[in-house]
Amino acid sequence: MRVWEKLPLRVRLGLLYAVLLIISVGLVGCYSYWNIWQLFISNKSSHLRAQAKPIIEHWLVDNNLDNEAFSQLKLNPQNALVLARDLTSHNTVAVVLNRTGDIIANGKQLPEEPKAPVPDKRYFRRAISGENEVTYRSQVKGKPVLVLLIPLRPQPTSSQIFGVVQMSTLLTDIKEILFRHGAMLVSLVAVILFMGISVGFWLIGVSLKDLKGLLISCDQISKGNFSQWVPIKNPCDEIGQLAVSFNQMVEKLEAAFSSQKRFVINAAHELMTPLTGLRGSLEVLLRGAQDDPSARARLLKGMYKEVNRLIRLCEQLLGLSRLENMTNVRKQSIVLSEFFSEFESQAQVLACEHSVVIQQGPYVRILADPDLLKQILLDLLSNALRYSSTEASVVIGWKLLPEEVEIWVSDKGQGMDTETLSHIFEPFYQGNLRVVSDNKGIGLGLSLAKSMIEAHGGVIRVDSNPDEGTTVSFTIPLE
Amino acid sequence: MYRDKNNNKIKMLVIEDDPVITEFLCTGLKYEGYDVTSKTTGEEGLCALQQATFDLIILDIMLPDIDGFKVCQRIRNRGSDIPILILTVRKEIIDRVKGLDSGADDYLTKPFSFDELLARIRALLRRTGKVSKNKKLQAETIVLNLETREVSRNGKGIDLTPTEFGLLELFMRYPYHVFTRETLLNRVLGYDYDGGTNIIDVHISHLRNKLGDRPPRLIRTIYAVGYAFYPEETSA
Repeated sequence: MRVWEKLPLRVRLGLLYAVLLIISVGLVGCYSYWNIWQLFISNKSSHLRAQAKPIIEHWLVDNNLDNEAFSQLKLNPQNALVLARDLTSHNTVAVVLNRTGDIIANGKQLPEEPKAPVPDKRYFRRAISGENEVTYRSQVKGKPVLVLLIPLRPQPTSSQIFGVVQMSTLLTDIKEILFRHGAMLVSLVAVILFMGISVGFWLIGVSLKDLKGLLISCDQISKGNFSQWVPIKNPCDEIGQLAVSFNQMVEKLEAAFSSQKRFVINAAHELMTPLTGLRGSLEVLLRGAQDDPSARARLLKGMYKEVNRLIRLCEQLLGLSRLENMTNVRKQSIVLSEFFSEFESQAQVLACEHSVVIQQGPYVRILADPDLLKQILLDLLSNALRYSSTEASVVIGWKLLPEEVEIWVSDKGQGMDTETLSHIFEPFYQGNLRVVSDNKGIGLGLSLAKSMIEAHGGVIRVDSNPDEGTTVSFTIPLE
Repeated sequence: MYRDKNNNKIKMLVIEDDPVITEFLCTGLKYEGYDVTSKTTGEEGLCALQQATFDLIILDIMLPDIDGFKVCQRIRNRGSDIPILILTVRKEIIDRVKGLDSGADDYLTKPFSFDELLARIRALLRRTGKVSKNKKLQAETIVLNLETREVSRNGKGIDLTPTEFGLLELFMRYPYHVFTRETLLNRVLGYDYDGGTNIIDVHISHLRNKLGDRPPRLIRTIYAVGYAFYPEETSA
C-alpha cells in the first residue's frame, strides 16, 4: 500500500487502467474461446446423429426385426456388427452394446480407424433408461473424443430399448482449429492491450500535463512569484476549470498582498510625519533652543502632541488588525433608543461648541457589539465635526428597513467631490479637505468604521456633495 | 551668522502644514540666524512670495490644498529662480525625480536630521550665490580658515584639536551669543555624548591658552550660564 501511494498519480492511473484492460479483454477472450468450443461440439454431435439416424433406421428395416425378436430383446452379434460397421468411418467408430452394457460388436476393423473408448456405465445407464441424446467427452490414449450414445428401439416412438449404439469421434481436428483460433485470439488480445495501454498512458499523460503545469505554477507562487499564471487550454474540462479558479485565486492573493504592502507603506509614511516632528524638535532643542524657555515650551508641547498622535495611530492600527481577525466582536441585543440616549452625552462632550442632534427613530432591537457601535459612531461624528463649521449641527438618526436598521450621521459641512469619495475608505487617505479644527485625523477612521460595520454584517455608504454636506449611513442587521 | 552679500539676514519661507514640524523648523532656523516666515498651505505660500522677496523656500510635498510639486511648478512658471528645498515622506526614486523635475533644487526625506537640513540649506545658498563663498571667518586678530581648518592669530599659526576648532568656529559665527555648556557640548561633541558638561570647561581652558586669551578675555565666562565670544573690546 505504501509503495502504491508513493507512485506518481500518472503511473497509478496507468497501472489501474492496464489491469482493468487486461481483465476485460481476457474475459472476452476466454468467453469467446469457450463459446466456440461448445459450438463445435454441439455441431459435431448433431452432425453425427444426423448421419447415424438413417443408417440405424435402414438397419432396423433390413433386419426385419419383428416384434418377436424384440420381445426377447436380444441382439444378434452378427447383425450388430453390420450396424457398427456401417456407422464407422475414418475418424468415427461405433460399437453396439447390449442391454447389460457389454460390447457385442465393434466397428473398428481397419488400423487407421480410431479405437473406441471403454463405455462409461453412468452415461450408459442414462441411455438405456430412455434418454435419446446422451453426449459426453472422454479420452482414448490421451486424445480427446466425443462420445454419443444412441438407444436402439424397434420403432422410433417405442419405449422398448434392446441395445445402445456408442459412437465416438476424435476431437483432434477441433482442438487444432481451436488452438489456432486461440493463438489468434491471444495475439489479438496482445495487440489490443498494447494499443490500449499505450493510448491510455498517452491520454493520461496529456490530461495530467496540464496538472503538471498547475503544479509548477503552484511552486512558483509559493516562492512569491505572482506573475506566474496557469495557461488555460480547455476551460470546459475539470483541469481547465481548476486552472481558471486557480488563476482567480492567484489574482486575489496578489491583490491582497499588494494591498497589504500598500497598507504597510502608508502606515510607515504616516508614522514618519510625527517622527519627523519629534526628531527635528529634539535636535533643535539640543542645538541650543533649550536655552530659550519660550521656544523650549513650544517645542516640548509639539513633541507631546506628536507622541499622542503616534499612540493614537498605533491604537487604530491595532484595532484594524484585531477586527480583521474577527475576534473581539461580542454581539449582544441592543435597544437602539436606549443606546442613543446613553451615547448622546458622549457625543456632546466630543462636539464642544458644535451641536449634535439625535433624532430618535422607531423602537428597534439590533444585534451588535455596543463598544464597537459606539466607536463607529464616534469616528463618524468626529469626521463630521472636523469638516464642518460650528454653526450647522450634525444630525444622527435611524430608520427601519425590512431586515436591518439604517443609522446615519449627517452634516452640513464642506462635502466631498466624487474623486475624493472614491478613495475615502482606503486606509490613510485624507483627501484635500480644509480641517476646521486643529485636530487633524490620521486617515484610518473610515476604514476602521467600515471594517467594524462589515464585522457586524452591515454595509456603509457615503453620500456627499461639495459645499452641501455629507451623510454617512450604515446598516446593522436586526436581532 | 549667515548673511547675504548686503549683510542682511537670509530670508526663508517655510511652506508646511504640520504644526509641529513648522514649529521646530522656525525655531531652529531662527536660532541659526535665519529670518523665517511660515505658511501652512500652498496658496498662502504663493501669496507670500508675491508680497515679499525670499532667499530660499522649504516646501512640503503633502499640502492640504495644492501639492508641493504644483507649487514648485507655479513658482518656476513665474520666472523665479529662488532655491527650493522640498521635504517628502516618500523615498521612492520616482518621487525624487518628480520633485527635481518640477523645479526643486534639492530634496530631503522625512524624518530628516536638522543638521543635514542646515547643511543642505548652506549648500543651496552657496550654489545659488546668495551668500559669499568666503571660506574664512575673521574676528579681532583671529583668522579661521574653514577649508584648510587652519587658525592663526596675528598671522601666527595655532594648532587646535577638532573639538577646540569646533568651539572657536561656533563662537566666531555667533559673536556675543551666550551658549550654555549643554548646548556647546551638544553642538561640538554630538547629541549622543554621555559625559558631563565639565569637559567643555576643560576644552575652553585649552582653547584660551592656545589663543593666548587673557583678561579681558575674548571668550568670556558668563556666570552660571556658559560662555560667549566678545571680539571687540567692550566692557562686560
